[in-house]
Amino acid sequence: MKNFAYREADSKDAILAALAELKDAYVIAGGTNVMLNILDKKVNDRTLVNLRNAKELRGIKDNGETITIGATTTISDLEHSELIAGEAKALWQAAVSFADPTTRHSATVGGNISNASPAADTATALMVLDAVVTIEKKGAKREVALTDFFKGVGKTVLAADEIVTAITFKKSHNCAFIKLGLRNAMAISVANVAVNLVKQGDVVKDIKIAMGSVAPTVRRCAEVEKALLGKKLEDAVIAEAVKGLDKDISPIDDIRATGKYRKQVAPVLVTRAIYAACGCKDGGAK
Amino acid sequence: MSKDIQVSFTLNGKPVTYTVAPHTSLLRMLRNNYNYDVKCGCEEGDCGTCTVLVNGESMKSCITLAAQVEGANIVTTKGLTYGTDEIGHMIQRAFVECGSIQCGFCTPGMVMAAKEYIDDGGIADRKAIRKAISGNLCRCTGYVKIVDAIYRVAKDLGREVR
Ligand SMILES: Cc1cc2nc3c(=O)[nH]c(=O)nc-3n(C[C@H](O)[C@H](O)[C@H](O)COP(=O)(O)OP(=O)(O)OC[C@H]3O[C@@H](n4cnc5c(N)ncnc54)[C@H](O)[C@@H]3O)c2cc1C
Ligand code: FES
Ligand code: FES
Repeated sequence: MKNFAYREADSKDAILAALAELKDAYVIAGGTNVMLNILDKKVNDRTLVNLRNAKELRGIKDNGETITIGATTTISDLEHSELIAGEAKALWQAAVSFADPTTRHSATVGGNISNASPAADTATALMVLDAVVTIEKKGAKREVALTDFFKGVGKTVLAADEIVTAITFKKSHNCAFIKLGLRNAMAISVANVAVNLVKQGDVVKDIKIAMGSVAPTVRRCAEVEKALLGKKLEDAVIAEAVKGLDKDISPIDDIRATGKYRKQVAPVLVTRAIYAACGCKDGGAK
Repeated sequence: MSKDIQVSFTLNGKPVTYTVAPHTSLLRMLRNNYNYDVKCGCEEGDCGTCTVLVNGESMKSCITLAAQVEGANIVTTKGLTYGTDEIGHMIQRAFVECGSIQCGFCTPGMVMAAKEYIDDGGIADRKAIRKAISGNLCRCTGYVKIVDAIYRVAKDLGREVR
């Protein structure tokens, strides 16, 4: 028998107070994961705490060098933001390739990362933009780098009385996100990749690469990054560097693809994303 | 056992209050109260036939928590009838005249997605229309005639691309 209660909360403080008080709280933002968990009987005996009506949790703010988005900012909000399209293109590309326009009205960024799916599209983009997650509970606030936020499939550093309130990341004009799905819309990533690249002349001064759906969590590809740092960006150099993916990723078989296939496409996706990030070649999958 | 809650909102222009279990989806709340114009297909967010407009934005009602629509303005295909909604009427007429309906199961969701597209100023552009209905699956038509219908409405409204 399904057994739930519902708690309305119209401000951040009201949400944090509810979480401090309740022993069985389960926060719901867009509900696109939560509702499926309820329908599939993966959760029960919980009090659903509504995050959607706390206005201060939704919005996109320009801080100059960085951008802060509230946790309940929807994927649709990102898609329609000129700031995101111009100053954080990888995140914008993740938003426009996310699910479909209807689902994007519901799905939130906070829900996407807190759900901690290895395939979470915004997480891959945010990770190369050095995103920092603001986590709050009643009377306390902490900040955790997105690279330290995930602990496993569906697992994060969040305690039961904590929520993500915002995500802050660096602007970049040299970043790109590419998603490989089984169809053009409404597809969960078979694999996704984001790259953020700073060049000095022809030489790579700084590079961040992240991949999703190729390990238990979205993760940085440190070996490939290391192999490219200080190098001239040439086809042969990149081809050699992406061999490092063998150490960076550990894909498995699932309903969408085999681990073997993911291993084969990962270097191709990373190569395309590197070119797309520096605008050298059209990196978009055709 | 869950304790029921009450949800009040505007449905197709009329205020309503429904009593539901706290975990009920918007889809189940609507259908349990005889609003059978909203269809249930996959009930997991994939097919789009359950799409309704919540404050003007399309949402899949099967993955929307009923309690969260408190105070919202909800429109279903019943709210698009002749005389109440001119655009909604144009869309439905175009669907009929373009042969966009075969089994009809996807139609309510397609019409709602089309309504949002046209309301938001959508133009007669096949690619943009395909994107707008990309959250809706149709197993019969091959989509071409559905796109034709929405294209025709945009064209009839003078939104041709030159
Ligand atoms: C048809 C369909 C297509 C999809 N396509 C994609 C896709 O292309 N890419 C993709 O990445 N995902 C996709 N998803 C998955 C899902 O839509 C996303 O993960 C979405 O971003 C979740 O956000 P939400 O607001 O709906 O989360 P909810 O369902 O409300 O919550 C998700 C989880 O996070 C917790 N939570 C929510 N907000 C917070 C917060 N602020 N702090 C702490 N915990 C929180 C909830 O308790 C829950 O455990 C798809 C889902 C569906 C149904
Ligand atoms: S019934 Fe809601 S998307 Fe299929
Ligand atoms: S007409 Fe049958 S599913 Fe679209």
